[in-house]
Amino acid sequence: MSLTDSPAKYGSVAGSETASGPLGRAALRGDGSLKVRGAATYALEQPVEGVLHCVLVQSTIGAGRVAAIDRSAAEAAPGVRLVLDAGNSLTLAPMPDFFGNTPPGDSYVPFAREISFNGELIAAVVADTLEQARAAAALLEVTYEEARSVPTFSDPRAGEGRAVDAMTKEWGEPDAAFAEAPVRIEATYETPREYNLPIEPHGLIVHFEADDRLTIYEPTQWVDGTARNYAGWFGLSFDAVRIVSPFIGGGFGSKAQGLPHSAAAAIAAKMLGRPVKLAVTRPQTFTAYGGRPATRQTLRLGAAADGRLLALDHDAASETSVTGTFTETLGIVTKMMYAVPNLSSRQNVVPVNTVLPGPFRAPGKNPSAFAFECAVDELAVELGMDPVDLRRVNEPDHDFETGKPWSSRRLLKCYDVAGEAFGWAGRNPAPRSMREGRQLIGWGMAVGTHPVYAAPGEATVRLLANGSVEVSSSAIDMGTGTYTILAQTAADVLGVPVEKVTVRLGDSRLGRAPVAGGSQLANLMTAAVHKTALAARDELVTLGLTDPNSPLRDQANTLTVADGRIGASRGGAISVGELLAATGRDHLEVTRDTLPEADRTPEERQRMFSTLAGRGALPDLPVSRHSFCAHFIEVRVDEDFGTIRVSRVVTAFDAGRLYNPKLAESQFKGGIVMGIGMALLEEGVTDPRNGRILSSNLADYRIATNADVPEITTISVGEPDYDATPLGGKAVGELSIVGVAPAIANAVYHATGRRVRSLPIKLDDLL
Amino acid sequence: MASLRSMELEINGAQYALTIEPRVTLLDALRENLGLTGTKKGCDQGQCGACTVHVDGERVLACLTLAVQAEGRSIRTIEGLASKDDTLDAVQQAFIEEDAFQCGYCTPGQIMSAVACIREGHAGSDAEIREFMAGNLCRCGAYNGIVAAVRKAAQRIQGAAA
Repeated sequence: MSLTDSPAKYGSVAGSETASGPLGRAALRGDGSLKVRGAATYALEQPVEGVLHCVLVQSTIGAGRVAAIDRSAAEAAPGVRLVLDAGNSLTLAPMPDFFGNTPPGDSYVPFAREISFNGELIAAVVADTLEQARAAAALLEVTYEEARSVPTFSDPRAGEGRAVDAMTKEWGEPDAAFAEAPVRIEATYETPREYNLPIEPHGLIVHFEADDRLTIYEPTQWVDGTARNYAGWFGLSFDAVRIVSPFIGGGFGSKAQGLPHSAAAAIAAKMLGRPVKLAVTRPQTFTAYGGRPATRQTLRLGAAADGRLLALDHDAASETSVTGTFTETLGIVTKMMYAVPNLSSRQNVVPVNTVLPGPFRAPGKNPSAFAFECAVDELAVELGMDPVDLRRVNEPDHDFETGKPWSSRRLLKCYDVAGEAFGWAGRNPAPRSMREGRQLIGWGMAVGTHPVYAAPGEATVRLLANGSVEVSSSAIDMGTGTYTILAQTAADVLGVPVEKVTVRLGDSRLGRAPVAGGSQLANLMTAAVHKTALAARDELVTLGLTDPNSPLRDQANTLTVADGRIGASRGGAISVGELLAATGRDHLEVTRDTLPEADRTPEERQRMFSTLAGRGALPDLPVSRHSFCAHFIEVRVDEDFGTIRVSRVVTAFDAGRLYNPKLAESQFKGGIVMGIGMALLEEGVTDPRNGRILSSNLADYRIATNADVPEITTISVGEPDYDATPLGGKAVGELSIVGVAPAIANAVYHATGRRVRSLPIKLDDLL
Repeated sequence: MASLRSMELEINGAQYALTIEPRVTLLDALRENLGLTGTKKGCDQGQCGACTVHVDGERVLACLTLAVQAEGRSIRTIEGLASKDDTLDAVQQAFIEEDAFQCGYCTPGQIMSAVACIREGHAGSDAEIREFMAGNLCRCGAYNGIVAAVRKAAQRIQGAAA
């Protein structure tokens, strides 16, 4: 190892800034001051005059039908304006969800008569105050005809489900290779239902300013997709719907779709001609939308005596609802992570009486890595090899799934750097070999990955006479740092301090933007702002050179822009404001997008941003693009009580260029914290009799608290990857949760000798 | 059925008159009736800590407190933490510097808890901070930053008092 490759080169993520300009610096969060003052205005806090309050009523049976709802007592209650159910609701036009599911029939009503899961929306009550609506909702008399439900895929009546063709993949001769492999393991891994649970619950304010024009204040990860959905429901044009979402109190995948409660609030507002506010209660959030489905994966690995993988067979299943298909793509990590010459992978979805599951941080990748990274650890034990060494032996020189070379893959560097920082070399491989008093100490590791996705984005850049810059887009910031990094991007191109840049986001009246999902938004929107700011700079230079009133005209054959001034490289410069004033302007505005050049109608163009069509418009690249990370984790298990504490985490990341290392570190750590919860705490518990979610609150569904989390060390080994994205970043937001749970499970095995293959790992698994 | 009741609440040193039903929580009174939306609703069940305010200097969950219970007492919310000249409180400043949040929704509750945690003398070590801040959930997982911010603010406050 040369000196320049020494691990000593790599420090903490936040300290890893390498930038010469503003982009890449560890700048403080631009919206921080508003947030610490309580002055950031989230959706339900928007000042809308005269709002009525809407409260939801959900079914209390798991399957069957609503025979009758007696609305009379609720309608007679004080302050009540409207009681809505399937019998009196306005009907909407059906709209497809992301996954291609469209409600059956010609019209859509968000209130169910036929019940397919416990907690399904059946009615809503609107009243002058929240208290009145809540009290009246309790007066609804609902009569059910209950049918037998199949609440989970552990119920034998659920059956095997149906195969998802797109998930079937095979290469080589996996059966023969497995049969002949000298070392073989086979094991089944399970994860429970897990819920996104942003601390800001879902909700919205709907305001019809006219019959054919409405504004919706709603936390959404995708302003444009959300606007399109409401426009479709009400048969309006895209421009007739304004979505306002400047701050989002967390989403983690759950705030991008058109959900029944949103339709209910919009219907109420339309029918009453008054603005309506609806807040989904915390327990209701467990069934108002779906989280990660329960999964089951059986893995068979065959290896040579030296550890080389010879065969992988992956048989997976995940739950879906009885009314639609959501596929938690479980083969996604198993197929590309290592050099596997013979592979077979398939997946079923099993319909049960649940709300349709949905995307939750690193969908597919996260449970896929749990099963595979535990199985690789089991193989290492079987081989008597160090688990890092086993992974090194199987490091692939290209992506075996696509056959493409990697745009970059610095996972070996992750092993070097994180392993050294953790002290992995001092590990005694024997289980139960390390202890401190009555505490068994376990060291485990696992890797994570996330693909780099791409879609087009659009941005507007305005240069103002006072030297400041405005950047705007309908892209959103849910804590991911969009406000901050877009200001850094514009400042970088235009040569102004970050403080001079104002960023406006989260409003469908601004430029178009794709979904903040799949860890794609930072790369896409920095690229869009970069391109737009360059165009603005060029227009400014053209103005200076060619405008008859420009003081810089004929001074040179080019001009440079820096520090808010424009001028010839030798000679006088004037402020941008002076140039704008001299040429009779108070601003210069440029809008650009990153769609490939093509003739498109306005409707086609809009589809590129408000549906997933934009992804398809981009060219297929000749490289495989992924971020990577390696987690090294220590647990301490009380020998008498079986309690498990995570005591140390060291993770190295290869996520390409970090646009703001301080904010990237926060996201990295946040994913690890969520992974600790997944490994040890989080579990959706379902009543086997009727499908009721028993853990539908934040005390029974436990997420990690401050006291569950040790100091986490994060290290970046990433280098700018311009084959992956225009500005060299890779995927950040979802990457770090992938691999945490298996690293903890592997550490628990090392501490105790107990291999727990079903999450969460609880003390009774160890006693 | 509940009847309306007039009351006066002292919030951040100012008097607010309102006429509401006795069943209205302090949290809903702040957010829905008084436009003080800095205090957040994350669960409405006393489980997440997002609605933490101070009543007579003590940490209180505004979702489990009726507004009438706070009558005649001194209420402090996140909006009342910065000084009159708009200088941030030491805890607010440290939260920005340590990036102790992402989405920002649990942040007002975290900060109100942190102010009390320091004042109560429970910021003596990282382990103590973790324990005394464990009632405020953060789904973005900013706990490392929160601990660093509380530690830093406590040091500054103690330094200033010395």
